[in-house]
Amino acid sequence: MSVLEEMQENVVAGNESKVVELTQKALDEGLAPEKILNDGFVPGMEIVGRKFQENEIYVPEMLMAARAMKAGMKLLEPFLTEAGIEPIGRIVIGTVKGDLHDIGKNLVAMMLEGGGFEVIDAGVDASPQKFMDLVKENKPDILCLSALLTTTMGEIKKVIDAFKENDLRDDIKIMVGGAPLTDDYSKEIGADGYSPDAASAVDLAKELLGK
Amino acid sequence: MGKLIDLANSFYSENKRLVAPLLGFPGVKLAGSSIKLAQQNHKEHFKVVSSLVGKFSPDIQFVLMDLSVEANALGLNTIFPPNESATVLKKNKEFCLDDLSLLRDVEFDSDGRLLSYVRTVKLMKHEFPSDVKVGAYVSGPYTLTGLIVGAQEAGLMVAREPDKLEKICTFTTECIVKYTKLLLSAGVDTVCVLEPSGVMLGPSHFRKFSAVNVKEIVEICHRGNVDCVYHVCGNSMHLIEEMVQSGVDALSLDSKDNNVNLLEVANNVPKKIVIIGNMSPTKTIIYGNPEEVKSEVRDLLELMDRFSNYVLSTGCDLPLETPLDNISAFMQTGRNYVVSSGN
Repeated sequence: MSVLEEMQENVVAGNESKVVELTQKALDEGLAPEKILNDGFVPGMEIVGRKFQENEIYVPEMLMAARAMKAGMKLLEPFLTEAGIEPIGRIVIGTVKGDLHDIGKNLVAMMLEGGGFEVIDAGVDASPQKFMDLVKENKPDILCLSALLTTTMGEIKKVIDAFKENDLRDDIKIMVGGAPLTDDYSKEIGADGYSPDAASAVDLAKELLGK
Repeated sequence: MGKLIDLANSFYSENKRLVAPLLGFPGVKLAGSSIKLAQQNHKEHFKVVSSLVGKFSPDIQFVLMDLSVEANALGLNTIFPPNESATVLKKNKEFCLDDLSLLRDVEFDSDGRLLSYVRTVKLMKHEFPSDVKVGAYVSGPYTLTGLIVGAQEAGLMVAREPDKLEKICTFTTECIVKYTKLLLSAGVDTVCVLEPSGVMLGPSHFRKFSAVNVKEIVEICHRGNVDCVYHVCGNSMHLIEEMVQSGVDALSLDSKDNNVNLLEVANNVPKKIVIIGNMSPTKTIIYGNPEEVKSEVRDLLELMDRFSNYVLSTGCDLPLETPLDNISAFMQTGRNYVVSSGN
Protein backbone atom coordinates (compact mmCIF):
# COMPACT_ATOMS: atom_id res chain seq x y z
CA MET A 1 0.00 0.00 0.00
CA SER A 2 1.38 3.43 -0.93
CA VAL A 3 1.86 6.12 1.67
CA LEU A 4 -1.08 8.09 0.19
CA GLU A 5 -3.38 5.07 0.24
CA GLU A 6 -2.36 4.48 3.83
CA MET A 7 -3.04 8.15 4.54
CA GLN A 8 -6.56 7.91 3.08
CA GLU A 9 -7.25 4.86 5.20
CA ASN A 10 -6.08 6.58 8.39
CA VAL A 11 -8.02 9.76 7.65
CA VAL A 12 -11.16 7.62 7.34
CA ALA A 13 -10.30 5.80 10.59
CA GLY A 14 -9.72 9.14 12.35
CA ASN A 15 -6.22 8.14 13.39
CA GLU A 16 -4.75 11.59 14.04
CA SER A 17 -1.19 10.65 15.05
CA LYS A 18 -0.84 8.19 12.18
CA VAL A 19 -2.03 10.80 9.65
CA VAL A 20 0.56 13.29 10.92
CA GLU A 21 3.25 10.58 10.75
CA LEU A 22 2.23 9.64 7.20
CA THR A 23 2.14 13.29 6.08
CA GLN A 24 5.72 13.67 7.28
CA LYS A 25 6.66 10.39 5.59
CA ALA A 26 5.14 11.53 2.29
CA LEU A 27 7.03 14.84 2.51
CA ASP A 28 10.23 12.98 3.35
CA GLU A 29 9.72 10.73 0.34
CA GLY A 30 9.69 13.89 -1.79
CA LEU A 31 6.03 13.76 -2.83
CA ALA A 32 4.71 17.12 -4.03
CA PRO A 33 2.54 18.86 -1.39
CA GLU A 34 -0.26 19.23 -3.94
CA LYS A 35 -0.18 15.48 -4.61
CA ILE A 36 -0.36 14.73 -0.88
CA LEU A 37 -3.40 17.00 -0.62
CA ASN A 38 -5.20 15.83 -3.75
CA ASP A 39 -4.37 12.12 -3.60
CA GLY A 40 -4.25 11.70 0.19
CA PHE A 41 -6.49 14.05 2.16
CA VAL A 42 -9.12 14.95 -0.45
CA PRO A 43 -10.04 11.36 -1.44
CA GLY A 44 -9.86 10.35 2.24
CA MET A 45 -12.44 12.98 3.16
CA GLU A 46 -14.53 12.04 0.11
CA ILE A 47 -14.74 8.49 1.47
CA VAL A 48 -15.72 9.91 4.86
CA GLY A 49 -18.48 11.98 3.24
CA ARG A 50 -19.79 9.02 1.27
CA LYS A 51 -19.79 6.73 4.31
CA PHE A 52 -21.66 9.41 6.28
CA GLN A 53 -24.29 9.81 3.58
CA GLU A 54 -24.74 6.04 3.43
CA ASN A 55 -25.15 5.77 7.24
CA GLU A 56 -21.99 3.69 7.56
CA ILE A 57 -20.50 6.25 9.93
CA TYR A 58 -22.04 8.98 12.07
CA VAL A 59 -21.03 12.37 13.47
CA PRO A 60 -18.47 11.13 16.06
CA GLU A 61 -16.55 9.15 13.44
CA MET A 62 -16.77 12.08 11.04
CA LEU A 63 -15.41 14.44 13.70
CA MET A 64 -12.50 12.09 14.33
CA ALA A 65 -11.70 11.87 10.62
CA ALA A 66 -11.90 15.64 10.20
CA ARG A 67 -9.59 16.21 13.15
CA ALA A 68 -7.08 13.73 11.76
CA MET A 69 -7.18 15.48 8.39
CA LYS A 70 -6.76 18.89 10.04
CA ALA A 71 -3.72 17.69 11.99
CA GLY A 72 -2.10 16.49 8.77
CA MET A 73 -3.06 19.69 6.95
CA LYS A 74 -1.38 21.78 9.65
CA LEU A 75 1.88 20.08 8.78
CA LEU A 76 1.27 20.31 5.05
CA GLU A 77 0.04 23.92 4.78
CA PRO A 78 3.44 25.71 4.89
CA PHE A 79 4.64 23.46 2.05
CA LEU A 80 1.51 24.19 -0.01
CA THR A 81 2.04 27.94 0.51
CA GLU A 82 5.72 27.66 -0.37
CA ALA A 83 4.84 25.78 -3.55
CA GLY A 84 2.31 28.47 -4.47
CA ILE A 85 -0.64 26.04 -4.39
CA GLU A 86 -3.91 27.96 -4.16
CA PRO A 87 -7.03 26.57 -2.47
CA ILE A 88 -9.85 25.74 -4.88
CA GLY A 89 -11.94 28.46 -3.29
CA ARG A 90 -12.27 30.69 -0.25
CA ILE A 91 -15.21 30.43 2.10
CA VAL A 92 -16.51 32.43 5.06
CA ILE A 93 -18.70 30.33 7.34
CA GLY A 94 -20.65 31.07 10.53
CA THR A 95 -23.70 30.44 12.68
CA VAL A 96 -26.13 33.35 12.58
CA LYS A 97 -27.03 35.81 15.32
CA GLY A 98 -28.80 34.42 18.37
CA ASP A 99 -27.64 30.88 17.67
CA LEU A 100 -24.78 29.40 19.68
CA HIS A 101 -24.69 25.98 18.02
CA ASP A 102 -21.52 25.16 16.20
CA ILE A 103 -21.10 21.42 15.75
CA GLY A 104 -22.78 21.37 12.31
CA LYS A 105 -20.99 24.50 11.21
CA ASN A 106 -17.64 23.11 12.40
CA LEU A 107 -18.21 19.83 10.58
CA VAL A 108 -19.04 21.65 7.35
CA ALA A 109 -15.93 23.82 7.79
CA MET A 110 -13.71 20.79 8.33
CA MET A 111 -15.19 18.91 5.37
CA LEU A 112 -14.67 21.98 3.17
CA GLU A 113 -11.04 22.22 4.28
CA GLY A 114 -10.68 18.54 3.51
CA GLY A 115 -12.14 19.27 0.09
CA GLY A 116 -9.41 21.78 -0.67
CA PHE A 117 -11.10 25.04 0.32
CA GLU A 118 -9.69 27.78 2.51
CA VAL A 119 -12.16 28.43 5.31
CA ILE A 120 -12.54 31.56 7.45
CA ASP A 121 -14.68 30.89 10.50
CA ALA A 122 -16.97 33.70 11.71
CA GLY A 123 -17.89 31.62 14.77
CA VAL A 124 -21.35 31.56 16.36
CA ASP A 125 -23.88 34.32 17.08
CA ALA A 126 -22.50 36.26 14.10
CA SER A 127 -24.37 39.42 13.06
CA PRO A 128 -25.02 40.46 9.44
CA GLN A 129 -22.44 43.21 9.96
CA LYS A 130 -19.81 40.67 11.04
CA PHE A 131 -20.43 38.60 7.91
CA MET A 132 -20.22 41.72 5.73
CA ASP A 133 -16.98 42.83 7.39
CA LEU A 134 -15.40 39.39 6.93
CA VAL A 135 -16.50 39.23 3.30
CA LYS A 136 -15.12 42.71 2.54
CA GLU A 137 -11.86 41.81 4.25
CA ASN A 138 -11.31 38.33 2.83
CA LYS A 139 -13.15 38.46 -0.52
CA PRO A 140 -14.38 34.85 -0.37
CA ASP A 141 -16.14 33.04 -3.21
CA ILE A 142 -18.83 31.61 -0.96
CA LEU A 143 -20.56 32.57 2.27
CA CYS A 144 -21.96 29.63 4.31
CA LEU A 145 -24.68 30.41 6.85
CA SER A 146 -25.87 27.98 9.50
CA ALA A 147 -28.81 27.96 11.97
CA LEU A 148 -29.95 25.13 14.20
CA LEU A 149 -33.00 26.71 15.76
CA THR A 150 -36.38 27.52 14.30
CA THR A 151 -36.10 30.79 16.21
CA THR A 152 -32.87 31.76 14.44
CA MET A 153 -33.44 30.51 10.90
CA GLY A 154 -34.98 33.90 10.08
CA GLU A 155 -31.59 35.47 10.81
CA ILE A 156 -30.22 33.82 7.67
CA LYS A 157 -32.62 35.87 5.57
CA LYS A 158 -31.53 39.00 7.44
CA VAL A 159 -27.91 38.34 6.43
CA ILE A 160 -28.87 37.80 2.79
CA ASP A 161 -31.02 40.96 2.84
CA ALA A 162 -28.15 42.94 4.37
CA PHE A 163 -25.86 41.78 1.56
CA LYS A 164 -28.46 42.91 -1.01
CA GLU A 165 -28.97 46.29 0.67
CA ASN A 166 -25.23 46.92 0.72
CA ASP A 167 -24.63 45.89 -2.90
CA LEU A 168 -22.53 42.90 -1.87
CA ARG A 169 -24.90 40.13 -2.95
CA ASP A 170 -23.83 39.90 -6.60
CA ASP A 171 -20.19 39.33 -5.68
CA ILE A 172 -20.72 36.17 -3.67
CA LYS A 173 -22.50 32.81 -3.64
CA ILE A 174 -24.44 32.06 -0.48
CA MET A 175 -25.16 28.54 0.72
CA VAL A 176 -27.18 27.66 3.81
CA GLY A 177 -27.74 24.70 6.10
CA GLY A 178 -28.98 23.59 9.51
CA ALA A 179 -31.64 21.32 10.98
CA PRO A 180 -34.79 23.44 10.44
CA LEU A 181 -33.85 24.55 6.93
CA THR A 182 -35.11 23.08 3.69
CA ASP A 183 -34.31 23.48 0.02
CA ASP A 184 -37.60 25.34 -0.52
CA TYR A 185 -36.85 27.75 2.31
CA SER A 186 -33.37 28.44 0.96
CA LYS A 187 -34.85 29.38 -2.43
CA GLU A 188 -37.50 31.54 -0.79
CA ILE A 189 -34.93 33.63 1.07
CA GLY A 190 -32.69 33.99 -1.97
CA ALA A 191 -29.78 31.68 -1.15
CA ASP A 192 -27.84 30.06 -3.99
CA GLY A 193 -27.91 26.61 -2.46
CA TYR A 194 -28.91 24.43 0.49
CA SER A 195 -26.97 21.51 1.85
CA PRO A 196 -28.67 18.92 4.06
CA ASP A 197 -25.40 17.65 5.56
CA ALA A 198 -21.68 18.33 5.85
CA ALA A 199 -20.70 15.87 3.14
CA SER A 200 -23.04 17.37 0.53
CA ALA A 201 -21.76 20.84 1.43
CA VAL A 202 -18.45 20.11 -0.31
CA ASP A 203 -20.20 18.99 -3.51
CA LEU A 204 -22.47 22.02 -3.42
CA ALA A 205 -19.57 24.42 -2.90
CA LYS A 206 -17.71 22.90 -5.86
CA GLU A 207 -20.87 23.04 -7.98
CA LEU A 208 -21.45 26.71 -7.13
CA LEU A 209 -17.93 27.52 -8.25
CA GLY A 210 -18.19 25.33 -11.34
CA LYS A 211 -15.37 23.03 -10.15
CA MET B 1 -55.39 8.80 34.21
CA GLY B 2 -55.04 5.83 31.87
CA LYS B 3 -52.06 4.95 29.73
CA LEU B 4 -51.59 6.78 26.46
CA ILE B 5 -51.86 3.62 24.34
CA ASP B 6 -55.23 2.74 25.90
CA LEU B 7 -56.48 6.25 25.31
CA ALA B 8 -55.26 6.21 21.69
CA ASN B 9 -56.95 2.83 21.11
CA SER B 10 -60.13 4.02 22.77
CA PHE B 11 -60.29 7.15 20.61
CA TYR B 12 -59.58 5.03 17.53
CA SER B 13 -62.42 2.67 18.35
CA GLU B 14 -64.68 5.73 18.29
CA ASN B 15 -63.17 6.74 14.92
CA LYS B 16 -61.34 9.68 16.50
CA ARG B 17 -57.73 10.75 17.00
CA LEU B 18 -55.87 12.12 19.97
CA VAL B 19 -54.50 15.54 19.00
CA ALA B 20 -51.44 16.74 20.86
CA PRO B 21 -49.13 19.19 19.08
CA LEU B 22 -45.83 20.00 20.81
CA LEU B 23 -47.19 23.36 21.78
CA GLY B 24 -45.74 25.80 24.27
CA PHE B 25 -44.15 29.02 23.04
CA PRO B 26 -47.18 30.33 21.08
CA GLY B 27 -48.90 30.50 24.49
CA VAL B 28 -46.50 33.28 25.43
CA LYS B 29 -48.12 35.51 22.80
CA LEU B 30 -51.57 34.41 23.84
CA ALA B 31 -50.93 35.18 27.51
CA GLY B 32 -49.06 38.42 26.85
CA SER B 33 -45.99 37.09 28.61
CA SER B 34 -42.36 36.42 27.62
CA ILE B 35 -40.42 33.18 27.36
CA LYS B 36 -37.84 34.49 29.82
CA LEU B 37 -40.50 35.23 32.43
CA ALA B 38 -42.40 31.98 31.94
CA GLN B 39 -39.25 29.86 32.15
CA GLN B 40 -38.39 31.38 35.52
CA ASN B 41 -41.73 31.99 37.20
CA HIS B 42 -44.09 29.08 37.70
CA LYS B 43 -47.27 31.17 37.92
CA GLU B 44 -46.38 32.97 34.69
CA HIS B 45 -45.52 29.60 33.14
CA PHE B 46 -48.88 28.23 34.22
CA LYS B 47 -50.63 31.29 32.75
CA VAL B 48 -48.95 30.55 29.40
CA VAL B 49 -49.86 26.86 29.21
CA SER B 50 -53.37 27.58 30.56
CA SER B 51 -53.97 30.00 27.72
CA LEU B 52 -53.14 27.20 25.27
CA VAL B 53 -55.47 24.73 26.94
CA GLY B 54 -58.19 27.40 27.03
CA LYS B 55 -57.88 28.19 23.33
CA PHE B 56 -56.94 24.88 21.73
CA SER B 57 -57.92 22.06 24.16
CA PRO B 58 -55.13 19.66 23.21
CA ASP B 59 -55.27 16.11 24.60
CA ILE B 60 -51.81 16.52 26.10
CA GLN B 61 -50.43 19.86 27.24
CA PHE B 62 -46.70 20.00 27.90
CA VAL B 63 -44.79 22.61 29.85
CA LEU B 64 -42.53 24.88 27.77
CA MET B 65 -39.73 23.00 26.05
CA ASP B 66 -36.50 23.96 27.79
CA LEU B 67 -33.32 21.95 27.40
CA SER B 68 -31.48 24.11 29.88
CA VAL B 69 -33.41 23.17 33.05
CA GLU B 70 -31.17 20.35 34.30
CA ALA B 71 -27.93 21.90 33.04
CA ASN B 72 -28.83 25.20 34.69
CA ALA B 73 -29.66 23.36 37.93
CA LEU B 74 -26.13 21.93 37.80
CA GLY B 75 -24.76 25.47 37.75
CA LEU B 76 -23.92 25.73 34.06
CA ASN B 77 -23.86 29.23 32.66
CA THR B 78 -27.27 29.86 31.11
CA ILE B 79 -28.63 32.91 29.30
CA PHE B 80 -32.26 34.03 29.20
CA PRO B 81 -33.10 36.07 26.08
CA PRO B 82 -36.56 37.70 26.41
CA ASN B 83 -38.25 35.65 23.74
CA GLU B 84 -36.06 32.68 23.03
CA SER B 85 -35.75 29.58 25.11
CA ALA B 86 -33.01 29.70 27.75
CA THR B 87 -29.66 28.55 26.36
CA VAL B 88 -26.67 26.95 28.04
CA LEU B 89 -23.42 28.64 27.05
CA LYS B 90 -20.52 26.58 25.80
CA LYS B 91 -17.73 25.81 28.25
CA ASN B 92 -14.30 27.05 27.32
CA LYS B 93 -12.30 24.53 29.26
CA GLU B 94 -12.05 20.81 28.78
CA PHE B 95 -14.23 18.77 31.13
CA CYS B 96 -12.41 16.28 33.34
CA LEU B 97 -13.71 13.65 35.72
CA ASP B 98 -12.73 15.80 38.73
CA ASP B 99 -15.33 18.29 37.48
CA LEU B 100 -17.88 15.50 37.77
CA SER B 101 -17.27 15.17 41.50
CA LEU B 102 -17.88 18.92 41.81
CA LEU B 103 -21.18 18.53 39.99
CA ARG B 104 -22.11 15.64 42.28
CA ASP B 105 -21.91 18.06 45.23
CA VAL B 106 -24.57 20.30 43.73
CA GLU B 107 -27.99 19.96 45.38
CA PHE B 108 -29.49 19.46 41.96
CA ASP B 109 -33.06 18.81 43.02
CA SER B 110 -33.21 21.93 45.22
CA ASP B 111 -32.63 24.29 42.31
CA GLY B 112 -35.20 27.09 42.16
CA ARG B 113 -35.83 27.04 38.43
CA LEU B 114 -36.08 23.26 38.26
CA LEU B 115 -38.57 23.37 41.11
CA SER B 116 -40.54 26.08 39.30
CA TYR B 117 -41.13 23.55 36.49
CA VAL B 118 -42.30 21.03 39.09
CA ARG B 119 -44.65 23.63 40.56
CA THR B 120 -45.99 24.42 37.09
CA VAL B 121 -46.79 20.74 36.57
CA LYS B 122 -48.52 20.63 39.95
CA LEU B 123 -50.68 23.61 39.03
CA MET B 124 -51.47 22.14 35.61
CA LYS B 125 -52.51 18.86 37.18
CA HIS B 126 -54.65 20.64 39.74
CA GLU B 127 -56.29 23.20 37.48
CA PHE B 128 -56.60 21.64 34.02
CA PRO B 129 -59.69 19.67 32.98
CA SER B 130 -59.22 16.02 33.92
CA ASP B 131 -59.24 14.90 30.28
CA VAL B 132 -56.09 16.89 29.45
CA LYS B 133 -52.94 14.89 30.08
CA VAL B 134 -50.19 16.93 31.73
CA GLY B 135 -46.81 16.49 30.08
CA ALA B 136 -43.29 17.50 31.07
CA TYR B 137 -39.95 17.30 29.32
CA VAL B 138 -36.66 16.05 30.69
CA SER B 139 -33.31 16.24 28.90
CA GLY B 140 -31.94 13.04 27.43
CA PRO B 141 -28.82 11.62 29.14
CA TYR B 142 -26.55 12.14 26.12
CA THR B 143 -27.92 15.63 25.37
CA LEU B 144 -27.40 16.75 28.97
CA THR B 145 -23.88 15.32 28.80
CA GLY B 146 -23.32 17.36 25.63
CA LEU B 147 -24.47 20.50 27.44
CA ILE B 148 -22.01 19.80 30.24
CA VAL B 149 -18.93 18.93 28.18
CA GLY B 150 -19.83 20.58 24.83
CA ALA B 151 -21.70 18.85 21.99
CA GLN B 152 -18.64 18.48 19.79
CA GLU B 153 -16.50 17.27 22.69
CA ALA B 154 -19.16 14.68 23.56
CA GLY B 155 -19.07 13.50 19.95
CA LEU B 156 -15.30 13.12 20.09
CA MET B 157 -15.51 11.34 23.44
CA VAL B 158 -17.75 8.71 21.84
CA ALA B 159 -14.76 7.60 19.80
CA ARG B 160 -11.82 8.59 22.00
CA GLU B 161 -12.94 8.29 25.62
CA PRO B 162 -16.04 6.10 25.74
CA ASP B 163 -15.48 5.07 29.38
CA LYS B 164 -15.30 8.69 30.51
CA LEU B 165 -18.39 9.51 28.47
CA GLU B 166 -20.25 6.57 29.97
CA LYS B 167 -19.46 7.81 33.48
CA ILE B 168 -20.80 11.27 32.67
CA CYS B 169 -23.94 9.80 31.06
CA THR B 170 -24.50 7.70 34.18
CA PHE B 171 -24.28 10.87 36.24
CA THR B 172 -26.65 12.82 33.99
CA THR B 173 -29.10 9.92 34.16
CA GLU B 174 -29.02 10.09 37.97
CA CYS B 175 -29.91 13.79 37.73
CA ILE B 176 -32.69 13.20 35.21
CA VAL B 177 -34.11 10.40 37.38
CA LYS B 178 -34.20 12.79 40.35
CA TYR B 179 -36.04 15.38 38.27
CA THR B 180 -38.41 12.74 36.91
CA LYS B 181 -39.29 11.66 40.45
CA LEU B 182 -40.13 15.26 41.34
CA LEU B 183 -42.33 15.54 38.25
CA LEU B 184 -44.08 12.31 39.21
CA SER B 185 -44.73 13.58 42.69
CA ALA B 186 -46.26 16.71 41.13
CA GLY B 187 -48.72 14.52 39.23
CA VAL B 188 -47.32 14.50 35.69
CA ASP B 189 -49.07 12.08 33.29
CA THR B 190 -46.47 11.95 30.53
CA VAL B 191 -42.70 12.44 30.66
CA CYS B 192 -41.00 13.14 27.35
CA VAL B 193 -37.26 12.53 27.13
CA LEU B 194 -35.69 15.06 24.74
CA GLU B 195 -32.59 13.62 23.12
CA PRO B 196 -31.84 15.92 20.17
CA SER B 197 -28.08 15.30 20.26
CA GLY B 198 -28.70 11.56 20.05
CA VAL B 199 -29.45 11.86 16.35
CA MET B 200 -25.73 12.35 15.70
CA LEU B 201 -24.93 8.87 16.98
CA GLY B 202 -24.97 5.50 15.26
CA PRO B 203 -27.29 2.82 16.69
CA SER B 204 -24.74 1.09 18.94
CA HIS B 205 -23.50 4.35 20.46
CA PHE B 206 -27.05 5.61 20.84
CA ARG B 207 -27.91 2.43 22.73
CA LYS B 208 -24.85 2.75 24.98
CA PHE B 209 -25.03 6.45 25.80
CA SER B 210 -28.75 7.15 25.56
CA ALA B 211 -31.22 4.24 25.34
CA VAL B 212 -29.71 2.12 28.13
CA ASN B 213 -29.94 5.13 30.42
CA VAL B 214 -33.41 6.10 29.25
CA LYS B 215 -34.51 2.62 30.36
CA GLU B 216 -33.93 3.76 33.94
CA ILE B 217 -36.12 6.83 33.41
CA VAL B 218 -38.79 4.59 31.88
CA GLU B 219 -38.72 2.29 34.92
CA ILE B 220 -39.26 5.24 37.26
CA CYS B 221 -42.16 6.45 35.11
CA HIS B 222 -43.75 3.02 34.98
CA ARG B 223 -43.55 2.62 38.75
CA GLY B 224 -45.73 5.73 38.92
CA ASN B 225 -47.99 4.51 36.07
CA VAL B 226 -46.78 7.42 33.95
CA ASP B 227 -46.08 7.26 30.21
CA CYS B 228 -42.58 7.87 28.93
CA VAL B 229 -42.01 9.28 25.44
CA TYR B 230 -38.70 9.33 23.54
CA HIS B 231 -38.20 12.38 21.31
CA VAL B 232 -35.25 12.63 18.95
CA CYS B 233 -35.08 15.56 16.53
CA GLY B 234 -34.03 15.15 12.91
CA ASN B 235 -33.79 11.94 10.94
CA SER B 236 -33.96 9.27 13.66
CA MET B 237 -34.87 6.39 11.33
CA HIS B 238 -31.62 4.55 12.14
CA LEU B 239 -32.40 4.73 15.88
CA ILE B 240 -36.01 3.51 16.01
CA GLU B 241 -35.12 -0.04 17.14
CA GLU B 242 -32.90 1.27 19.94
CA MET B 243 -35.57 3.72 21.06
CA VAL B 244 -38.16 0.92 21.20
CA GLN B 245 -35.77 -1.34 23.14
CA SER B 246 -35.53 1.29 25.89
CA GLY B 247 -39.07 0.29 26.89
CA VAL B 248 -40.70 3.68 26.27
CA ASP B 249 -44.43 3.90 25.70
CA ALA B 250 -44.23 6.27 22.77
CA LEU B 251 -41.95 7.68 20.09
CA SER B 252 -42.25 11.34 19.16
CA LEU B 253 -40.69 11.79 15.72
CA ASP B 254 -39.66 14.66 13.52
CA SER B 255 -41.19 15.58 10.17
CA LYS B 256 -40.83 14.04 6.72
CA ASP B 257 -38.66 17.03 5.77
CA ASN B 258 -36.07 15.38 7.95
CA ASN B 259 -36.64 12.11 6.08
CA VAL B 260 -38.65 10.50 8.87
CA ASN B 261 -41.02 7.97 7.32
CA LEU B 262 -43.83 7.71 9.86
CA LEU B 263 -45.62 4.99 7.91
CA GLU B 264 -42.52 2.79 7.85
CA VAL B 265 -42.05 3.32 11.60
CA ALA B 266 -45.68 2.46 12.33
CA ASN B 267 -45.39 -0.68 10.21
CA ASN B 268 -42.35 -1.86 12.10
CA VAL B 269 -42.82 -1.04 15.77
CA PRO B 270 -45.02 -3.09 18.13
CA LYS B 271 -48.61 -1.87 18.29
CA LYS B 272 -48.30 -1.19 22.01
CA ILE B 273 -45.93 1.71 21.20
CA VAL B 274 -47.64 5.00 20.44
CA ILE B 275 -46.36 6.94 17.43
CA ILE B 276 -46.54 10.71 17.87
CA GLY B 277 -45.89 13.09 15.01
CA ASN B 278 -45.02 14.58 12.66
CA MET B 279 -46.17 17.71 10.84
CA SER B 280 -43.25 19.99 10.10
CA PRO B 281 -43.04 22.77 12.71
CA THR B 282 -41.05 25.02 10.39
CA LYS B 283 -42.97 25.09 7.10
CA THR B 284 -46.69 25.33 6.39
CA ILE B 285 -47.76 25.86 10.00
CA ILE B 286 -45.55 28.95 10.19
CA TYR B 287 -45.58 30.28 6.65
CA GLY B 288 -48.77 28.79 5.21
CA ASN B 289 -52.41 29.77 5.69
CA PRO B 290 -55.07 27.79 7.63
CA GLU B 291 -56.35 26.08 4.46
CA GLU B 292 -52.86 24.83 3.62
CA VAL B 293 -52.43 23.62 7.20
CA LYS B 294 -55.73 21.75 7.04
CA SER B 295 -54.75 20.06 3.80
CA GLU B 296 -51.37 18.94 5.16
CA VAL B 297 -52.91 17.64 8.41
CA ARG B 298 -55.56 15.72 6.45
CA ASP B 299 -52.84 14.09 4.33
CA LEU B 300 -51.00 13.02 7.47
CA LEU B 301 -54.16 11.64 9.10
CA GLU B 302 -55.02 9.70 5.96
CA LEU B 303 -51.51 8.29 5.79
CA MET B 304 -51.80 7.02 9.37
CA ASP B 305 -55.48 6.09 9.19
CA ARG B 306 -55.11 2.35 9.82
CA PHE B 307 -52.93 2.70 12.92
CA SER B 308 -54.76 2.78 16.23
CA ASN B 309 -51.51 3.61 18.03
CA TYR B 310 -51.11 7.01 16.40
CA VAL B 311 -51.38 10.49 17.94
CA LEU B 312 -51.56 13.53 15.67
CA SER B 313 -48.80 15.96 16.58
CA THR B 314 -46.01 18.13 15.25
CA GLY B 315 -42.52 16.83 14.52
CA CYS B 316 -41.00 19.18 17.05
CA ASP B 317 -41.89 22.16 19.22
CA LEU B 318 -43.87 24.94 17.56
CA PRO B 319 -41.98 28.24 17.49
CA LEU B 320 -43.23 31.44 19.10
CA GLU B 321 -44.11 33.02 15.75
CA THR B 322 -46.53 30.22 14.73
CA PRO B 323 -49.81 31.95 13.72
CA LEU B 324 -52.55 31.08 16.18
CA ASP B 325 -55.05 30.61 13.32
CA ASN B 326 -52.80 27.89 11.91
CA ILE B 327 -52.72 26.09 15.27
CA SER B 328 -56.53 26.31 15.37
CA ALA B 329 -56.64 24.84 11.85
CA PHE B 330 -54.35 22.00 12.97
CA MET B 331 -56.51 21.23 16.02
CA GLN B 332 -59.80 21.55 14.18
CA THR B 333 -58.73 19.23 11.36
CA GLY B 334 -57.53 16.66 13.87
CA ARG B 335 -60.76 16.87 15.86
CA ASN B 336 -63.03 16.69 12.81
CA TYR B 337 -61.23 13.83 11.12
CA VAL B 338 -63.17 10.58 11.11
CA VAL B 339 -60.95 7.53 11.10
CA SER B 340 -62.18 5.32 8.28
CA SER B 341 -60.65 2.05 9.40
CA GLY B 342 -61.51 2.24 13.13
CA ASN B 343 -64.87 0.65 13.91
